[in-house]
Amino acid sequence: MACLLIVLMTTNPAYKGAVLAAALCALAAGAGPRRISRLLAAVAAVATFAALLNFVSAHLGETVLFSLPAQIPAVGGPYTLEALAFGAAGGITIAAAILAVAPFSLLLEPHDIVDALPDALARSGAAIAASLNLVPEVGATFVQVSEAQRMRGWRPRGPRSWAEVVVPVVLTSVESSLQLAESMEARGFGSGPRTHVDPPRMSAGDWLVTACAGAAIALFLIASTAGWAQPWAAYPTLSPPAVNAIALLACALLLAPVVAWRARR
Amino acid sequence: MARATLDALTYRYPGGAADALSNASLTVDGGLNVVAGPSGGGKSTLLRVFNGLVPHFHGGRVSGHARVAGLDVIATPTRRLARDVGFVFQDPELQAVYGTVDREVAFGPENEAVPAAEIPRRIGEALEAAGAAHLAGRTLRTLSGGERQRVAVASALASRPAVLVLDEPTSQLDDEGCEMVLATVRRLAGEGTTIVVSEHRLERLMDIATAFIEVDAGKVRALDPAAWNAPPQPVRLQPATTRHTEAWCVRVASVGFGGTPVLEDVDAGGCGGEVVALTGPNGGGKTTLLRLVGGLLAPTAGKVVRRPGRVAYLPQNPAALLHRPSVRDEVRFTLDRAGDGTETPEAILEELGLSASASRYPRDLSSGERQRAAAAAVLAGSPSLVLLDEPTRGMDARARDALIAVIARLRDRGAAVVLATHDVALRTAVADRVLSVAGGRVMECVK
Repeated sequence: MACLLIVLMTTNPAYKGAVLAAALCALAAGAGPRRISRLLAAVAAVATFAALLNFVSAHLGETVLFSLPAQIPAVGGPYTLEALAFGAAGGITIAAAILAVAPFSLLLEPHDIVDALPDALARSGAAIAASLNLVPEVGATFVQVSEAQRMRGWRPRGPRSWAEVVVPVVLTSVESSLQLAESMEARGFGSGPRTHVDPPRMSAGDWLVTACAGAAIALFLIASTAGWAQPWAAYPTLSPPAVNAIALLACALLLAPVVAWRARR
Repeated sequence: MARATLDALTYRYPGGAADALSNASLTVDGGLNVVAGPSGGGKSTLLRVFNGLVPHFHGGRVSGHARVAGLDVIATPTRRLARDVGFVFQDPELQAVYGTVDREVAFGPENEAVPAAEIPRRIGEALEAAGAAHLAGRTLRTLSGGERQRVAVASALASRPAVLVLDEPTSQLDDEGCEMVLATVRRLAGEGTTIVVSEHRLERLMDIATAFIEVDAGKVRALDPAAWNAPPQPVRLQPATTRHTEAWCVRVASVGFGGTPVLEDVDAGGCGGEVVALTGPNGGGKTTLLRLVGGLLAPTAGKVVRRPGRVAYLPQNPAALLHRPSVRDEVRFTLDRAGDGTETPEAILEELGLSASASRYPRDLSSGERQRAAAAAVLAGSPSLVLLDEPTRGMDARARDALIAVIARLRDRGAAVVLATHDVALRTAVADRVLSVAGGRVMECVK
């Protein structure tokens, strides 16, 4: 949450980059590089696409790298270093935001949510657990469905053709979650106050992560309010982002999970 | 004393065209109550009445009366009935909430607010009763299907229910897992637990059954278990009269995932007009070999050759296929893609006993009917190579016989058939050759 707040609080790519690096390190420490390799590839693809999209579509800025004839629809015009830099900053923002929320699905099991909720929210917990169950299910189902449909002669031909794959993937995943919800209902979930054979407790590592996240948000907020954490603008002429030590320290605090989660894994 | 009674109970699912249960009256006493009947006949619906999932979870219209353990099912929510009725679902992977055995078994007692100090004793008792004491402390992901289903039984028993209900608990399991679960059911019944179980492999339970309940087209009948006769085993097919040239071959092929080899230096092949069965333990590589033969996986070494023609592939999970508005549309989808305009969907639907379900939404079907619908969807037309992964999962004997007839027809037309199956009766009936796939190796089995 702290990663997400900071990355959305600033326009400065230096801090966004620092948050991205911290989120990446924390995720690698918590889930292991192998588990996140596919996610990283997907995030890199999305971020690159976002950067290139701005480069191709925003013909603003003074440092022209090359030009295409203006008569070419959509892509014609000057291609500038500023547009490339602004696009890259946007790509970093997207990547950091995705990696910041990834631990929620990669590191938490549905029961972690159920356990963490107070009894009054037990029924909501069932719904959240069932929804979270969708996340790992979707990837595996996608492979199964696309293979099965390919063998029936399906080929990707434009966006509409993907309905043949996407629809069964969604339906299968929803059915799986309903089955889990049915199983929870059949085992008395939500019937009243629960006991816990192993009550959720905050470990020293959890406290460390929580404290560092809180400190990071507070420090960055102070740095922004005091004007130390300068914003950054790519246009009209590209300039390097200003870096402040306090704001950078706030970003560095986001590395706390590397210590806590590595020990847990 | 009766543990459960149904009195003129009629139930219809929301949007259903017909009653799923029709005027059902029944008394369930202690002992082993076996529920049987054709796929889609209403077995799962009946079982869900006992813990109130029908009608409370599924909605719909209900009339009549049902009482379980002295509670009025219609007026008591499922989460309250859960204290008296334990329920085990078909798929062991889709019913677990926690990642470890002990936490999973503790979930029910926790929900009942059993004092935390007492729960470990409950866990131990339940695991012991389910024959799963040796699994304590294990992570669910590391367990086989049979072991996971035993944990599901323990999870249901941890609440000390008056009645234990199991809905086709072996339908998703291999032979070993099936034996494991049925042995547990037999032992629990022997120890006096009241059990209501629906099952296709009746021969493994009927010798100790105290009641036999037949559910067909929503009608519920109590029959004498002593009068039950085992259905005949499917008749072995005559070998095809014509054997064609080689239709597929795998030459010194290896394949793996993430650097871990699954199959190594595999040599295998098959001809048109021949049925090859793949057997072996779960995780041995049967599905991987099917996907390799079908071209869904590229070998990391060696080569795979297929003769030209359409490949029909039935995956383990039939839901991976089904997405059209009706069963008929599913079949038509395949025929259209294959450019086979001469055949109508009705032919294969008739063969697989699905004519009455042709207009139904495939995902509204029971698990056994879904499996048949998926089979119809891939086997329609004239495939050259047929790859079937556990094609009889959840099927009753009649549906299996129908599938065998379809396999025979395709084989006689010259199709090469490869099927991965734990179903000994299917293998015995159709296989010309059997390949054992285990530990990444493939070996020809001598008949």
